[in-house]
Amino acid sequence: MREQVVCKTTDLEPGEMLASYFGKQNVLICRTSDGEFYAFRNQCTHQGAPLDKGMVCGATTEESTPGDYHYCRKGEIIRCPWHGREFDIKNEGRMLANPDKKLPGFKLRIEDDEVIVYK
Amino acid sequence: MSKNQVRLVDTDIHERVQYQDILKYLDEPFKHYIENCHWIQEKHMPYTQPTVAGVDRADAVVPDGRPPATDLAFMQEQLLDDLDHEYGILTSALDPSPSSMHGWYEMATALASAYNDWQIDNWLEKDERLYGSVHINANDREGAVKEIERVGSHPKMVQVLLPIDDNMWGDPYYHPIYEACEKHNLMIGMHHNEPPVYYGKWPRYFIEWHTLIPTAHMKIITNMVFNGVFDKFPNLGLMMIEGGFTWVPHLMWKMDQQYRDLRHEVPWLKRKPSQIFKEQIRVTTQPAEELTRQEFESVVEQMGSDDILCFSTDYPHWDYDSPTRALPNMDPELKRKIFADNAKSFYPKLPNSKEGN
Repeated sequence: MREQVVCKTTDLEPGEMLASYFGKQNVLICRTSDGEFYAFRNQCTHQGAPLDKGMVCGATTEESTPGDYHYCRKGEIIRCPWHGREFDIKNEGRMLANPDKKLPGFKLRIEDDEVIVYK
Repeated sequence: MSKNQVRLVDTDIHERVQYQDILKYLDEPFKHYIENCHWIQEKHMPYTQPTVAGVDRADAVVPDGRPPATDLAFMQEQLLDDLDHEYGILTSALDPSPSSMHGWYEMATALASAYNDWQIDNWLEKDERLYGSVHINANDREGAVKEIERVGSHPKMVQVLLPIDDNMWGDPYYHPIYEACEKHNLMIGMHHNEPPVYYGKWPRYFIEWHTLIPTAHMKIITNMVFNGVFDKFPNLGLMMIEGGFTWVPHLMWKMDQQYRDLRHEVPWLKRKPSQIFKEQIRVTTQPAEELTRQEFESVVEQMGSDDILCFSTDYPHWDYDSPTRALPNMDPELKRKIFADNAKSFYPKLPNSKEGN
């Protein structure tokens, strides 16, 4: 499988995600709040939970200080439906608590209103 | 199935009741207090569980919108059939948890009875894989014994559930409960609950409380051992549920060392605490830390026994452990013990296929 239409651009509003297939692989298509699209393997690196059952949200950030939450980046973070691990969509799917770990990603392009994942 | 595949005995599944579901099992006046006065059990925790969907996996909501683990058909689809469970032990969502109530003990005792009847009707007698826990209000000791006498002989009840909270269950006051357990071949299952005795009050953040749950388990084991429960009731076993397991070697060493120094205070102990642990205490694995195979096998070796660990998923809670992902690869014989045989050997009422029951 070299490339495949995984969904329409109209299937996702900014800040949403959905599960689709690229060949036999279950992929997670995410749309960040700026309207950009991203694709990752739809499986948490920890224990394999289906990420599309989690949420796209923001994060409490490194600018927070003890006792004072700083929350932003709404629509840019995936949280796992089980253990709540956070992955940064706009930073190669890297885990916030351990950036050495990341969700395997897929190349993606938009043609007209089609979202295409390709090798 | 290849000979190395093991069908799982899952030692911690949290079925959940909604208060309206147990009304028909409750007598008056207690039914009135829930139905018309909207009673719910006291709650203390100042935070939610800071995950995607609170205490539960976000994907465990019943498709019709009911809370996770309230529906047998969906539990079968998502857990029991999907993972091909051989057996699952129900441990409830601890709400209500009658033994943790700080008053109104009549209500607590009535709730325990209603819960047991609901559990038998809706779970134990609907799926042959599911086994159950007897709920009691241990602070009404006579009522608790009466309830064990009432439902403890049910063929699918395998243990009596006690919370880990501000009660010290090793105290001789509670020993008639253990006598009743022995009589009915029931083990004790313990699971942490509120209030959080290991701090004395709540810490500021959930992550602090959740990190140190094992210390609550260590506290109550120490209490049960040094109060002589296991020598007095040699056929009683204790399953510690949902506290992880990497603390076990430390507690064995610490209790043994203290016993060598201070035996004078607890002369009723006939065996080393670590020996009592190996013979009568079992520990569910979840929530497992992420260990390498070497680290994992080292911890088991330090326990001095491969009989202690029993795999558990904790379904449907957020910190669920996957049977295929939570523990590292291990020796096939060790895997068979942890995923099935240890639990079968521990619970006298659980069919043991090795013995052809």
